[in-house]
Amino acid sequence: MARVSGRAAVAAVAGLAMLAATATPSLASSRHKAAYNPNATITLATNADPTFMQWSPTAYAESDLINMMIFSGLTKWSASATPVPDLATGWTTSKNGLTWTFQLRHGVTWQDGKPFTSADVVFTFEGLVLNPKLGAEGASNYADIASVTADGTYAVQFHLKAPWASLPAYLAYYAPIEPAHILQGVKDPWTDTQFDEQHPVGTGPFELAKYVPGQYVELTRNPHYYNGVAKVKTIVFQIIPNANTQAADLLSGDLSILSVQDAQLLAHIKTDPNVQVMTTTQNTWYMIGVNQNLPQFKNVKVRQALEYALNRPAMIKAILDGYGTVANGPIAPVQKAFYDPHVASYPYNPALAKKLLEQAGYKYNAQGQAVNAQGKQFTINMPTGQYGYLVPATELVQQYWQAIGIKVVINVEPWNNWIQQVVVKRNYQAMLAWWSTPTDPDQYPYFASSAANVGYNIPNYRNPALDKIFLAARATTNLAQRVKLYDQAQVLIAQQQPYGFLWYPEDILATQSNVHGVPNANIAIDVDQVNQWYVSP
Amino acid sequence: MTAYLVRRVGTGIVTLLLVTMITFGLMSAAPGGPAVIVSMTTTASQRAALTAEYGLNQPVPVRYVLWLEHAVTGNLGTSFDYSEPVTSVLGQRFPNTALLAFTALALSVIIGIPLGIAAARRRGSLLDALITGFSTVGLSIPDFWLGTLFIILFAVTLRWLPVSGMTTVGAPVTAGNLLEHLAMPASVLCLAVLPNIVRFTRSSMATVLDLDYIRTAHAKGLAPARVLFRHALKNALIPVVSTIGLLVPALLGGSVIVESVFAWPGMGRLAVQAATDRDYPMVMGVTIVAGVIVICTNLVVDLLYAVLDPRIQYG
Amino acid sequence: MARVMTDPAGMAAVEVEPSRPGLGRMVRRYPLAAAAAVLLILLHVLVFGLPLVYHASPTLANPLATLAPPSAGHLLGTDELGRDELARLIYGGRVSLLVGLFAMAVSVVVGTLAGAVSGFFRGATELVVMRIVDAVMAIPAFFLILVEVSVFGNAPAIIILVVGLTYWPAVARIVHAEVLKWRQRDFVEAGHALGAGPSRLLFRHVLPQATPSILSVAILSVGWSILTESGLSYLGLGIQPPLASWGAMLQNAQTYIFADPALAVFPGLLIFLTILSYNFLGNGIADSMSHRG
Repeated sequence: MARVSGRAAVAAVAGLAMLAATATPSLASSRHKAAYNPNATITLATNADPTFMQWSPTAYAESDLINMMIFSGLTKWSASATPVPDLATGWTTSKNGLTWTFQLRHGVTWQDGKPFTSADVVFTFEGLVLNPKLGAEGASNYADIASVTADGTYAVQFHLKAPWASLPAYLAYYAPIEPAHILQGVKDPWTDTQFDEQHPVGTGPFELAKYVPGQYVELTRNPHYYNGVAKVKTIVFQIIPNANTQAADLLSGDLSILSVQDAQLLAHIKTDPNVQVMTTTQNTWYMIGVNQNLPQFKNVKVRQALEYALNRPAMIKAILDGYGTVANGPIAPVQKAFYDPHVASYPYNPALAKKLLEQAGYKYNAQGQAVNAQGKQFTINMPTGQYGYLVPATELVQQYWQAIGIKVVINVEPWNNWIQQVVVKRNYQAMLAWWSTPTDPDQYPYFASSAANVGYNIPNYRNPALDKIFLAARATTNLAQRVKLYDQAQVLIAQQQPYGFLWYPEDILATQSNVHGVPNANIAIDVDQVNQWYVSP
Repeated sequence: MTAYLVRRVGTGIVTLLLVTMITFGLMSAAPGGPAVIVSMTTTASQRAALTAEYGLNQPVPVRYVLWLEHAVTGNLGTSFDYSEPVTSVLGQRFPNTALLAFTALALSVIIGIPLGIAAARRRGSLLDALITGFSTVGLSIPDFWLGTLFIILFAVTLRWLPVSGMTTVGAPVTAGNLLEHLAMPASVLCLAVLPNIVRFTRSSMATVLDLDYIRTAHAKGLAPARVLFRHALKNALIPVVSTIGLLVPALLGGSVIVESVFAWPGMGRLAVQAATDRDYPMVMGVTIVAGVIVICTNLVVDLLYAVLDPRIQYG
Repeated sequence: MARVMTDPAGMAAVEVEPSRPGLGRMVRRYPLAAAAAVLLILLHVLVFGLPLVYHASPTLANPLATLAPPSAGHLLGTDELGRDELARLIYGGRVSLLVGLFAMAVSVVVGTLAGAVSGFFRGATELVVMRIVDAVMAIPAFFLILVEVSVFGNAPAIIILVVGLTYWPAVARIVHAEVLKWRQRDFVEAGHALGAGPSRLLFRHVLPQATPSILSVAILSVGWSILTESGLSYLGLGIQPPLASWGAMLQNAQTYIFADPALAVFPGLLIFLTILSYNFLGNGIADSMSHRG
């Protein structure tokens, strides 16, 4: 499901910084030269002050990566974007798919020394995530979980309301396990300053050393980490809200790694010979949604026409400086097993777009406007949220649609207002936004007929045939079956255009040349391998 | 004098109350709701739960009175964004802004008053025109533009100064380190008030220098410098002191942009975030602090004025 | 002892005496202000007149030709979406300049009324109005604007109102002081003896004496308003697309500061020159008043 926060335009940035100045190799074994500096510090940037309680509604993007280092989940991402064991060592499903049993790792201790047991998992889900009074961040992702129970000290069972093959993927997706022995009984875990802001206790490869609000978060290696003690001693997140400043800091050597959110900065960053750049596609899809509660958008030809009218490669060039891939569906290319590149693709063709509009009942008058049977010009109201590059993208869409005779009215609004109007009240005709999901093919919540008007199905698209495919795919863990079903879904979606798909942006990572061990994958996957990062001496 | 003081403080409190009422009312009327409740991924039931949890389902006047009750005991509530008491967040941020503002003010006073005096003494000369022109230039230049240019020049190209922030991670917090970080933001912020001080010193000084008793002192044969420092300066500085008080709001306002450009962890940046995120408790907290600072500064300035100018009487 | 008045810009000690020197003499005495006036006239002519000869569209985007250098078709190159930069500067300039002028109108009208009424009628009116003036001036303008814009949104009319209502207290204070000074003069008493009513006295006889002061602060406040609007737009809270303004252009240009610094230079330079000119002009007028008599 989606993981999008309405906070600053630049999401959390991971930076690996090798500060040679602070590196003091002091190994006992001076016999052989160390392949890496065991006392190195890596510096990253984040946009704003974090909270260390990941389930709190205030845990926006800037908290994500920090908490991934301090805490662990039941599963985590492998470098190839699949969920692999973390606090859970393995899992099995019951025959009807409604009960999952997770075996838990023995011998794990919390950073305060207490042992990790099934009680912590049960507390995290029953006490925090599934507690309806608390409104935990991302709780809706786990709506299909009825309850979580302990099965002895080192096993837990997830009882589902409906089969859900993607559970392991969602347990790797910003879903840390919290310590029951500290938080159980706390009246309001979201405002427990002691834990949330000062002394978080997790089971992850790094623990909090120091947090100076407004300035930086300093993490230090957890010597008791169960999955390979980190090779780097200290990780620092500098709190830098401004993207230009982050880039400047990288170039001046103060940052080790920068997750470049603004592709436009990349040309400048690349001029530095000490900086290496890696790019990979994100599991995020930008899209246009037209409100299918309204009659004018129910006709598939209209939606197809709107898509043919867009020159998506040109938009990617202008807005992302080319760092994006044209999207034709919700399953991103990074999901190699599932991604189907051969579905209907809608190359830029305004003439065809006009023909389709005519087939849908519109005529072109002398001024080139598309008018309906009553002679009124086709007009689309498109409220636009001030976030990232949504505004320039919408301006381009306006121009392309105006070229096929449609009048588009853009209304730029502050982000919160936009969410209230479009997402909550569905008071819009067209909108441009994105969904960011874990690397898993399940996209049911964004298309479900049951989620029209109330859930994540913002365009209010209703197609029982598609629902059936998605539900069947959720119900099986057989890979071949899933591939087949998700392919059916992609073909149907591409033809039906419930969303107008735009692009998958690239994840761009810039690192100093002496930083190694960071896989070329999206930043969340990179951070799940944080104990492999190292700095050459 | 005491009666005056009491009256002034009373007026200040009333003003403060008015401002909090207006701010609270405005914030509550704002569409959109707090960021902590309204996001792309919250469901209706989550929003309901959070609204109840934050007490936002009560009518506005009730919430205001509740807030006021807590505020007078020093409890400004818990920030939505930070999950921490507002007072503690403000306590962390305020000293940073104060440091920045005082440095900027000190810089502008140290540079501005001598410049203003020099211009006044040689009114109509090229020096005067230059100084006046320069101060007007300073007043006209957009500070966000200047800040970015400074960063590019001094931090990225010349590498003399750090790009942003208040401290260098890993390095000890020394005075030198702090000054390095303070250099650019304080200079840019100083430009917000330096021109005013220059012009005001100049005009005030010029007016005083024109007055009869100065001419008399000259006629008596006193040396110009002595005339200047003994007689003119003290009287000329009285209005300047009052101007400094008036510039505090300008400094606080200017800090909003300067702190954003230089990632200075202060109150200005906090204010922008809080307003955008509809972090109601924080917005109220910042407003109160800003209001108190300005009112107190005005009070202090007025008192100084009274001390310096024996002609002013307070009933 | 000269009565020294303060305004947020602390521009000058203002003392008004009625006198009318010739234009030629004014230009010679205040060359900077004259040059500023010329620059402003030129700027306004260009911004409103240039599209008659320069026909590039400010809104036509060309995503395949973004950040292009100057060429025959695009005299100053193109911006981040491939739109003609010069055309955007022109159209953005219209918005910035008009916002400045309208905001000034708001502050002058409200401020003059408030100051005149409180200065002339004194008593309770004066008490209330001037306390409100103090209260509004007590709050850092930017904080208040932030709150107002996040509540009421950022339609141009709102921005004009919000910015204008920031500076009216400054105008009110000046007008108040002027009216206080002039109401005691003999000609006012004479008018009163002749049977003129209070509003006639105020608006026909007293207020016109304050015109030079009002003019001076009005001109200065255009500059402040433009600066405030561009600051707001820099924070992303001001004028929104599809409208352009110099401040908003500067905001967009932040992202491209390394790729194409010129994008940030032009709008910033124009904002700077405009505000500079208004400041020189306003100061010139204020200075000319203080040298009279």
